[in-house]
Amino acid sequence: MTSRLTALRRLSLPLMVVGAAACDATPPPVGMERGAELYETCVPCHGPNGAGKPEVEAPSIAGLPQWYVQEQLSGFQNGYRGDHAADLPGLRMRPMALSLTREGDIESVAQYVAQLTPVYPASTLHGNAGAGAASYQVCVACHGENGLGNPDLHAPPIVQLNDWYLVNQLRNFRSGVRGAKAGDVWGATMRANALALSDKAMEDVIAYVQTLR
Amino acid sequence: MPFDLIQGSTFAGDIDGVIWLVAVLTGFWFLAAEGIFFWLIWRFRAKPGQKSQYLVGKEKHVKRWITIPHALVLVCDVFIIIGAVRVWYDVKQRLPEADSTIRIIGQQWAWTFQHPGADNELDTADDIFTVEDLHIEVEKTYHFRLESRDVLHNFSVPIFRLKQDAVPGRSITGWFHATQAGEYDIQCAEICGIGHGIMAARIHIEDATTHAAWISSASAATTP
Repeated sequence: MTSRLTALRRLSLPLMVVGAAACDATPPPVGMERGAELYETCVPCHGPNGAGKPEVEAPSIAGLPQWYVQEQLSGFQNGYRGDHAADLPGLRMRPMALSLTREGDIESVAQYVAQLTPVYPASTLHGNAGAGAASYQVCVACHGENGLGNPDLHAPPIVQLNDWYLVNQLRNFRSGVRGAKAGDVWGATMRANALALSDKAMEDVIAYVQTLR
Repeated sequence: MPFDLIQGSTFAGDIDGVIWLVAVLTGFWFLAAEGIFFWLIWRFRAKPGQKSQYLVGKEKHVKRWITIPHALVLVCDVFIIIGAVRVWYDVKQRLPEADSTIRIIGQQWAWTFQHPGADNELDTADDIFTVEDLHIEVEKTYHFRLESRDVLHNFSVPIFRLKQDAVPGRSITGWFHATQAGEYDIQCAEICGIGHGIMAARIHIEDATTHAAWISSASAATTP
C-alpha cells in the first residue's frame, strides 16, 4: 500500500502540471488573433462577416474604422450608449461591450471588425433622395461630401450603414436616447443636428446618403 | 443562518428554513442508507467456506429493511410538504398591501426598472426609468409587475431568496419587503441567450431619507 501511495505522489506533480496546462486559458496577445477570438461573441447578432442581422436590429459593422468601433464600444461601457430604457438594441449590445474587460480587448475586436470587407445593405426605406440632398449639406461638415466620415471630428462613415439603423439612430439622437448624456461631446453635436429633422426629412437624407455609395 | 448568507427580505428566512428542512431530512436518509449499505457489504463480505445465497426479498425480516424506512420517509415528506406549502402560500399566493409598486422589464440582456416618482403612483409622468439599477426603500412592502420584452427571463434577488420567471406577453405580479439596507446583486436565473451570464443588475436598498433624496435627484426625463 505504501509503495502505491508513493507512486501516486510521484505521479501527482506531473498530473498537476499537465492539468494546469490543459486548463491554461491565457488568451492570445492583443491584435487580430485575439480580435478574431472575441468576435465569435458578436457572430450571433452581427454575423460572421459583420453584415448584421436586421431581425435583431444588429447593424452591418464590417469595415467600420477601428477608431470608431473603439469609441462606440467605450461609449457602451461608459454609459454614453445603450444605457437608456428605450434603447432596446442598445441594451442588448451594452452587456456585450461590458464583457470586454481585458486590456486591449476593445482595440483587438475593433481591429478585427475594421478589416472585414464592408457590405452595403439594400435599402428598406422609401425616402426622397432629391429632397434629402439639401438636408445633407448640414452633414457635409462632419461626414463629408461622400459620407466617408472624418476621424478628426469623430464622424463615422455612414454610406455602408443600414438605412433602418441610421433612421433609428437619428430618432434616438432627436429624442435624447442617444447624445444626451453629460460628457458625450460628439453625441451632443450630432443630437443638435438631429433635433431639426422630421421623420420624413430623416428618411430623405438617408435616401440621399445611400446614393453616395 | 450558517455560512453567513444575508437574509434581506421578510421571507428569506422561511425559504432558507424549507431548504434546510429538505437538506437535513434527505441528508439524514442519505447517510443512513449509505451507512447501512456499506455495513451490509462489510457484514456479509466473502468468507472462507461461506456460500453466497440469493435473497428473494419476500421474507418479513428482509422486507422490513424497506417498509420501515419507506414509511418513515413518507412521514418526513409530510413535514416537507407542510413546510413548503406554507412558504409557497406566503411568498407566491399571498399579496400583502403595497407601500409602493414598481415595474421590472427583462430583455436580452438587461433589466429596466420603472419606479414611481414623488407621487408614488406608477405609470404617471414623473416615473423614473433606470437601466440595471433598482432603488427601493428598506422596510417597505413593494409590489412588482414583471414583464419580458423577448424571451423567458427570471428576476432573481439572491438576498431576498426571490426568483420569478418573466414570461413574454404576461405581466406577473409579486411582492417583497426588504429588511436590510445596502447594495446587492440582481441576476437573471433563466438561460435567455448568449448574454445570459452577464445579465446582471444591482438593487439599492435605502433608508427613507436616502431614498427620498434619490427620487428628488433622479431624472424623470428617461421616459421610453
